[in-house]
Amino acid sequence: MTTVARERRTPSWARGLFGFVVFLVMLEIVPLSGLVPSRYLPPLHEIGEALGAAVSEAEFWIAVGDTLGGWGLGLSIALGAGIVLGLLIGSSGLLLRFTASTIEFLRPIPSVALIPLAVLMFGTEIESKLMLIVYAAFWQVLIQVLYGVRDVDPVARDTARSFRFGAWSRIRHVVWPTALPYVMTGFRLAATVALVLAITAELVIGNPGLGKQIATARSSGAVETMYALVLVTGVIGVLVNVGVRLVERRVLAWHPSVRREVPA
Amino acid sequence: MFRRALAAIAGTMLLLAPACGGGGDEDAAGDGGTTTVTVGVIPIVDVAPIYLGDQQGFFEERGIDLQMETAQGGAALLPGVTSGQFQFGFSNVTSLLIAQNQGLGIQVVANGNNSTGQEGADFGAVVVPEDSPIQDAADLEGATVAVNTLENIGTTTVNASVREAGGDPSQVEYTELELPDMPAALSAGRVDAAWVVEPFLTITAQENARPVAWNFVDTAPDLMIAAYFTSDEYAEQNPDVVEAFAAAVEESLQYARENEDEIREVVPTYTEIDENLIQELTLPVWPSEINRDAVETLNELAVEDGLIEEPVDLDQLLP
Repeated sequence: MTTVARERRTPSWARGLFGFVVFLVMLEIVPLSGLVPSRYLPPLHEIGEALGAAVSEAEFWIAVGDTLGGWGLGLSIALGAGIVLGLLIGSSGLLLRFTASTIEFLRPIPSVALIPLAVLMFGTEIESKLMLIVYAAFWQVLIQVLYGVRDVDPVARDTARSFRFGAWSRIRHVVWPTALPYVMTGFRLAATVALVLAITAELVIGNPGLGKQIATARSSGAVETMYALVLVTGVIGVLVNVGVRLVERRVLAWHPSVRREVPA
Repeated sequence: MFRRALAAIAGTMLLLAPACGGGGDEDAAGDGGTTTVTVGVIPIVDVAPIYLGDQQGFFEERGIDLQMETAQGGAALLPGVTSGQFQFGFSNVTSLLIAQNQGLGIQVVANGNNSTGQEGADFGAVVVPEDSPIQDAADLEGATVAVNTLENIGTTTVNASVREAGGDPSQVEYTELELPDMPAALSAGRVDAAWVVEPFLTITAQENARPVAWNFVDTAPDLMIAAYFTSDEYAEQNPDVVEAFAAAVEESLQYARENEDEIREVVPTYTEIDENLIQELTLPVWPSEINRDAVETLNELAVEDGLIEEPVDLDQLLP
């Protein structure tokens, strides 16, 4: 009871903000204290100055656009392919048995291990970045969809069958509503993973984007700018997460996990 | 809901289609007889002349529409050129010798940059912390020396320095560190010495690091460090473009030699190097012609240090 009351007094965003402020204060104090040389980890106010200089340049916003563009495109492809293949494989016992070992073999391969292949095939064009993003994000979606399809209530499935629902209607009215919460979980996981891989690709391969800006700042010895850009990627990560949760809440507004007011 | 998802998927596929179709527009001659060429470069001071030359119109007046692509390190550049994503690339001579030895089919088209040849005023050196007992290259025996790439131009030229000072290069313990990490590693004592090039040579100097070996100077007079190159295939199919590109690079190099202040102005357009730092950097020199003797020396050193098994035929590699 008391915890509930306390939670109500300080909303969760306020507590989150407090944690972030503590982090920022540490970032200012630690370099100034000499715990780490401030030449290599500059205090917050210097990073802030570099950030101010960076955001006033068009180059920065183009880089943000490149990163988000690659992220969005890669995520959409992974989501589309994951849902379609997941529904297809999941609704056929035969396909599921045929693909299970292949999926289990391919899934654990880290996307970054494919960088040499991506560079060889696509160089520094956007395709190499997309390849890494899609590869990493696709499995997150596919696995969730497979679980979702498996979770269909057998009674509902049999009922649909006895009403002579076609394959299409079965997917639409029985499988899809069951799988949707799983799809959304896959979407949420994939969205974060896709961002990580977008920036990794830019950093390592040199695709245009924030990651490349970080690498350029680093190879120029511009430590403040580098950390400023690193903080920006963190902020984008938070925004992506918040955005995805909003989408999830809207799409699943009808679902008991979101519709809290209904007691079980 | 399902219909909306389907629409999203269809949209995705549509977006995917053009993304998959790319990569085939390498050397389509544009209108007005200009040819678009993409050059893969590393965003460092060494390539400043080509940026400056492009600004000055040296490429345009030869019918070349120059597109610069920056990549992190030469690792992405060599496959980029051999696969045709870039028509030209910029790489250090030792990397090119190794690539040629592996049968990648590349050739040098123009000079890249050279050492200043002056001890005490070059753009690359082995540095140690101020209070280090290491005094000269021979003292590097038994020391941990950071280089950006093992078995490349760094190790082979530092080895040459050690040999010249009467030391045994096989006793040097090289460790791979990225250049940006070297100043911090050096000041924290994680390595005994580091082979750094600009801007990190100036950055370590500001931290009171002391140079003990000028490896480029010790290797050969006016050592040629890097070159612009293309693939044999592209050179065969587009001899005119290659010739025009080489001429434009040579003019750019000459312009760079004569306008050092403009070099220091163009560097911030493609790097993030601090404006004050740029003024203090030691710039490389940019002769227009290829220093064949220097390449021969690097070729011999590469064999001696076991980077390649037999020397590369320079008649095939150099123009």
